[in-house]
Amino acid sequence: MDTPDQAGGAFGFDGTWREYAPIAFTNLLLTIVTLGIYRFWATTRSRRYLWSRTRFIDDRLEWTGTGKELFLGFLMVLLILGLPFLFLQFGVQALAMRGMGGMAAILGVAAFVVIFYFGGVARFRALRYRLGRTYWHGIRGGSNDNGFGYGISYMWKNLVGMMAFYLLVPWAMISLWNERWNKMSFGPHLFECDAKVAPVFKRFLLFYLAPFLILIMMFFVAGAVGGFFGGIGVRTSYPPAIAVLVMVVAVIGIYVLLGLIALAYYSAFLREGIGSLRLAGLKFDFEANTDDWLKLFFGDVLLVVCTLGIGLIFLQYRHWKFFITHMEAYGEIDLDELTQSTTTLSKHGEGLLDALDVGAF
Amino acid sequence: MINIQVWHYDGRNANKWQPQLFGDSHGFRLIGDGWEAGPYSWADLQALDNAGSDRVFGHQYEPGWRIGFAGEIPADVAALLPQRQRYGGFIDRIGLWRASAVLACVAALVVFIGVKAPGWIAPFVPQSWEDNMGDAMVGDFGGRYCHTKDGDAALKALTAKLDPEGHARSIEVANIRMVNAIALPGRRIIIFTDLIEKAESPDEVAGVLGHELGHVEHRDTLTAMMRQLGLSVILGGMDGTGGSQINALLGLSFSREAEHQADLTALDKMKAANISPTGTAAFFRRMDKSLWGTSEDGKGKKAEDKVQGEQIRDLTSWFASHPSSKSRYELFENAAVKGHEYAPALTPAQWDALRGMCVDDRDVKSDFGFGF
Repeated sequence: MDTPDQAGGAFGFDGTWREYAPIAFTNLLLTIVTLGIYRFWATTRSRRYLWSRTRFIDDRLEWTGTGKELFLGFLMVLLILGLPFLFLQFGVQALAMRGMGGMAAILGVAAFVVIFYFGGVARFRALRYRLGRTYWHGIRGGSNDNGFGYGISYMWKNLVGMMAFYLLVPWAMISLWNERWNKMSFGPHLFECDAKVAPVFKRFLLFYLAPFLILIMMFFVAGAVGGFFGGIGVRTSYPPAIAVLVMVVAVIGIYVLLGLIALAYYSAFLREGIGSLRLAGLKFDFEANTDDWLKLFFGDVLLVVCTLGIGLIFLQYRHWKFFITHMEAYGEIDLDELTQSTTTLSKHGEGLLDALDVGAF
Repeated sequence: MINIQVWHYDGRNANKWQPQLFGDSHGFRLIGDGWEAGPYSWADLQALDNAGSDRVFGHQYEPGWRIGFAGEIPADVAALLPQRQRYGGFIDRIGLWRASAVLACVAALVVFIGVKAPGWIAPFVPQSWEDNMGDAMVGDFGGRYCHTKDGDAALKALTAKLDPEGHARSIEVANIRMVNAIALPGRRIIIFTDLIEKAESPDEVAGVLGHELGHVEHRDTLTAMMRQLGLSVILGGMDGTGGSQINALLGLSFSREAEHQADLTALDKMKAANISPTGTAAFFRRMDKSLWGTSEDGKGKKAEDKVQGEQIRDLTSWFASHPSSKSRYELFENAAVKGHEYAPALTPAQWDALRGMCVDDRDVKSDFGFGF
């Protein structure tokens, strides 16, 4: 029997950026001189380091994925999705040239639907791949589902979510999160997840404040630079330099504000999502609050800006550390019962996710 | 004889065992409290990431199987264990810096070939393939070609002068309100109606048409399409934006070279047809002014009498995609032989018919909603 009640919690991370820097910089170098092809091996090297510095209860995680399988996945997607889309692009162009705009539009929409569908499948398979390549105590995770059904759910739930002024988006996100995790397993045990919409819904309503905030900003802008606003002429006596400054601050302010709302929502979402996750006798928790997310976000921005972009190669490290240090687990796990996973392992990595450029979490 | 304490996961359940490892230089067995496993061959071991200070090894045929050595490994055992991979593959064998240098050279070669190869291959692509592809892509251009009896005759006369060998399969005037002309795949040239409207003499249209005929003869359109395709595959490994930006830059530098060659062809053709290049030079100069103002350096203020809509339309014009530099103007201006008696490209009656083609054609589709 192993219980997570150890000093420092069930999860721990003891990597340092000094150890990570040689990996990150050599990855960058090799990625450049191979015109980007090395990035699959680079991802693998980063993950192997991050996983090997991550402790769960009494032992470390281990990443066993390879660069080769990520590369093969990429080639596969290029062949299966890339080639048809190349022809489709020519086809749409040809139809538009002939003045058959209607047909071109239908083809375009069909292409969008296919991309949308595979976007869902990709999210599922990326999580499955990551669990399947993660070992702990010599045992791995996985899923017996291939994710094609999840792609369908992903499409219709997101569509329903967008109806009624996007009010059902939190429902769609939570329900898809549950659906995905309930099909994942580690060793012989299935994950169980029953996240609820109510805890995240209030945060989501913040998004609906945004239009009013933008309106207020516009009012300030109009007040500062002059102009017509709602039929009322506004004059200003500010010097032009200040007026421009106010405008720039207001416009940037809108973006930052929307970003902050998204952050606040996401923080509630992950707390609820991970907090509702169970595996055999274990219960998980994610304790990052909005303040923590703000620190991460502005830390990222500062790091990237101050290093003129070079800091980008450290973001993966920062995000993983953030993720692990805020993860928690309670309960016990029986090591005798935690037998090897019998799920099938795909021979290719996250090619689909990679190609469609969506995040796994 | 080797006898050393290790920790062990068997990959079947999550228990951590503490067996003794017994073996020799060929292989070993693991002997625990009431169990024994093996034999295993040293050659099947794979070095994995260290767990803290412990060296860890996996077995290439048994997923999840691990042995770990806590503390120092005796030299005789260490010699039997595999080395850990660092960068992967051949990079570990020849060293990071040497590998980087080799890879950089290969990358430079690949990009160089990617840029140049289409130009080498294009002449060997059967013309019928290109024609079929062009037909599939363009079709009848949505019924936007203008046709009148006199207009067609005038266009035919101009074509006969500039392209007596018939390099182009079709030259059409399209009812699209842009100052533009394009060479499409499959040896087709389309002149957009506003270009003819903005031209002050048939000689000016002849210069533009000669230039497009140059692209057709050099098979530039096919080359450009192949290059775009090839580079997007080569640079596909690069992350989205970076790759496409480089792609666009390379495309630009290539097309400058091709543009110059097309200009030279245009001049040859005009000389053969006894058409004066001064008109074209004047056209360049006039459009240059209306696009970028009066100054020669191209940074001058925009012409003030232009309405905004017209300015936006100019961005899609022939002169925007063919930067009309001073040297280009001079090339045409200096090509004119002083005192030589040139013949106009079309008679006044033919010129009128060409200009009126899209207005007089009742059946032509309007350009409204044309999706460029």
